[in-house]
Amino acid sequence: MLSARLREIVGAENVVDGEQELLVYECDAYTLEKNLPTAVVLPRTTEQVAAVAKYCAANKIPIIPRGAGTSLSGSVLAVTGGVMIGLSRMNKILSIDFENRRALVEAGCVNAWVTNAVKPKGLLYAPDPSSQSACTIGGNVAMNSGGPHTLKCGVTTNHVLGFEMVMPDGEIVWLGTTPDGGEDVEGYDLRGAVIGCEGMFGIVTRVLVKLIRAPQGFKTMLGIFESVDDASQAVSDIIAAGIVPAAMEMMDQLITQAVEAAFKFGFPLDAGAVLIVELDGLQAGLDEQAERVMAVCKKNRAREVRLAQSEQERMDLWKSRKRAFGAIGRLSPNFVVQDGVVPRSKLPVIMRFIAECSKKYGLRIPNVFHAGDGNIHPLVLYDERYPDQVKAAIAAGNDILEKCIELGGSATGEHGIGVEKIDFMGKQFTKDDLDAMRALRKVFDPEGNCNPHKMFPGSKRCSDFAPKKQIAA
Amino acid sequence: MSFKPNTVEELQKHVAGLNQSGEKVGAIDLTSLNRVLEHTPEDMTVTVQGGATLAELQAHVRQRGQWLPFDPPSDKLTIAELLNADVSGPRRFGYGTVRDYVIGLTALLADGRVAKSGGKVVKNVAGFDVQKLFIGGQGTLGIIVEVNFKLRPIPDREQFVCKKFGSLTEAKAAIAAVFASPLTPTVFDLCSPATVVLGFDGTNEDMEWQLAQAKALGFSEAGNLNYDTEFWSAKKSVQKFSVLPSRLVETIEQLGKVPFIARAGNGVIYHQGETKSPKPALPVHLLKRVKDVYDPKHIFPEILI
Repeated sequence: MLSARLREIVGAENVVDGEQELLVYECDAYTLEKNLPTAVVLPRTTEQVAAVAKYCAANKIPIIPRGAGTSLSGSVLAVTGGVMIGLSRMNKILSIDFENRRALVEAGCVNAWVTNAVKPKGLLYAPDPSSQSACTIGGNVAMNSGGPHTLKCGVTTNHVLGFEMVMPDGEIVWLGTTPDGGEDVEGYDLRGAVIGCEGMFGIVTRVLVKLIRAPQGFKTMLGIFESVDDASQAVSDIIAAGIVPAAMEMMDQLITQAVEAAFKFGFPLDAGAVLIVELDGLQAGLDEQAERVMAVCKKNRAREVRLAQSEQERMDLWKSRKRAFGAIGRLSPNFVVQDGVVPRSKLPVIMRFIAECSKKYGLRIPNVFHAGDGNIHPLVLYDERYPDQVKAAIAAGNDILEKCIELGGSATGEHGIGVEKIDFMGKQFTKDDLDAMRALRKVFDPEGNCNPHKMFPGSKRCSDFAPKKQIAA
Repeated sequence: MSFKPNTVEELQKHVAGLNQSGEKVGAIDLTSLNRVLEHTPEDMTVTVQGGATLAELQAHVRQRGQWLPFDPPSDKLTIAELLNADVSGPRRFGYGTVRDYVIGLTALLADGRVAKSGGKVVKNVAGFDVQKLFIGGQGTLGIIVEVNFKLRPIPDREQFVCKKFGSLTEAKAAIAAVFASPLTPTVFDLCSPATVVLGFDGTNEDMEWQLAQAKALGFSEAGNLNYDTEFWSAKKSVQKFSVLPSRLVETIEQLGKVPFIARAGNGVIYHQGETKSPKPALPVHLLKRVKDVYDPKHIFPEILI
């Protein structure tokens, strides 16, 4: 019945409901919990999305929007089944308005495609998550995605002007700036309220993004430090010196070794930490700023500070950083990555805490992270064949996030709450805070039918979510 | 007479009481809740109560070489008023608006409960972004009692240049030339009758370069922001338009000869004439639902759209 109706709406070729084919959709990049959706539809138009939503609302079937499935928090998991609405076939760049620096794209458009399309005219789309070659603009809206360069430029909410959204009851609305309208929109900032809703307020179908001028020049430096402590202090000192780098990324010794083995960039294997600092802007003035950054690094006992000498060297450096997660395969069969945030000045404290956790639980925890934002990414390594290691990895991750909250930070800077970090919401926010958030959900989805069982404490978990099952994850 | 609470708790009791009986909330004087609660220069963040004025906050963070890079018509506004009205100023082209600097917000809701979203770190996606509703929310959903901002370092130097044109058509060509150039002005304004003003900040070296480039485009006269101050001190009623930057000049031409200032880079026009901006289609039913969910008894004012 459901399948037949879905085939009528989107066409048989755009429905996935065979058990084997559905396996692709059983989880996202967070693999500790899995469950099959009842069916997946891959619509080609907003009207099809709306018709699916309307049908599901009438029949009380949960809907789960999905972009590329690169989420790291289980935010596209079909916890109790339901119809997953995949936007991968709505992936076109619809129009580019160079004069007004905006582009209108379908939600399934891959993040990197936008910048690639406008680069020849000297423009770019600023948010650059490490998964940018796969993740979609619609998914970025849902998660309010960041990336290394958000230190200076801000995150998705600062770069998305407006969008078309299918409400959970099937109504099609436009929120925020329209493609031919001015920036300022009257009334409540509904666009801002939806960005970062983790797909719980509706299905975004078309997005109007802001383009910014690509910087005239870059200075990308690699500081090599004896210890994570020294590198963390350098980060704080650079900010305190009134310099706002485009990005400031740190890799500790373990991850540097793995990256070096994978990409042969020439990182020293005995360095305690390496720090990538990128300055951008007008060519004039960059040299002066770069010298100040190098002086701060040297003051913090940097062994060496290398300056990328060519665009190729710069690209290689970024490649090594953005592919660091992939290089972990060389160290361990499994890892779980956390995404906590601390005030920048607390970086040395949290890094020492992570080192203690590593000792306490007997697990290696390499770190590669957005140091300039205080956004850590500890990768807790484990081997799923040993149940004790699975448990220890989860416990270590939890300890680290609790410490982040205790230090005045957040359990997540980019990856979202999803199903993974539900338990931290009650630690980071009061009941009244959470009620105000629940109220916002009521505005868009009073029935709670869109991407249910996420975000809030007390949500249902997958029926087979238990440490035993995690071993097979 | 307005109600002037000395503590957030007093304000909570007051509002909860009114909500109980369904009475409207009258004027509230927040100026006793004006403390800067925490400024961490090395994190470039600050936490401030809603009743502090922008001027007070700027003075506080300026001691450590930092600022909030927004410049609304008056800095005597309290932080709560500034956010309620979402007002901005000439540096908007380079720095954005207050929305880009709020990283956390605590509001007193109609039922007297205090709710926070965001936090005090610069990157944070935990929970829904409820705070966005309060920026430009005109105080219709609750009272902003505390805000966390991210800050910017005060630039080494700031300088303005301008060029007066004989007609808006000539000014339009100059605006297009600036857009096409590698210049990165923080101020990119057009003001009546037809003067383009550019502002730059940064280190000495990049300032020299930008000023030379601007000069090559004809911007050789020293400028300042007096046109903005004068426009707002005229105490005339002001109409606002927000249009595509490419339609800025034609929109101004249609207003007739009225005093105006415009954010040329953003497509925002303020003028002292009669012409009102056409009303775009808004999802009014959703705006109503927001109001009903957060303020079911409508004790706060209604939003003006």
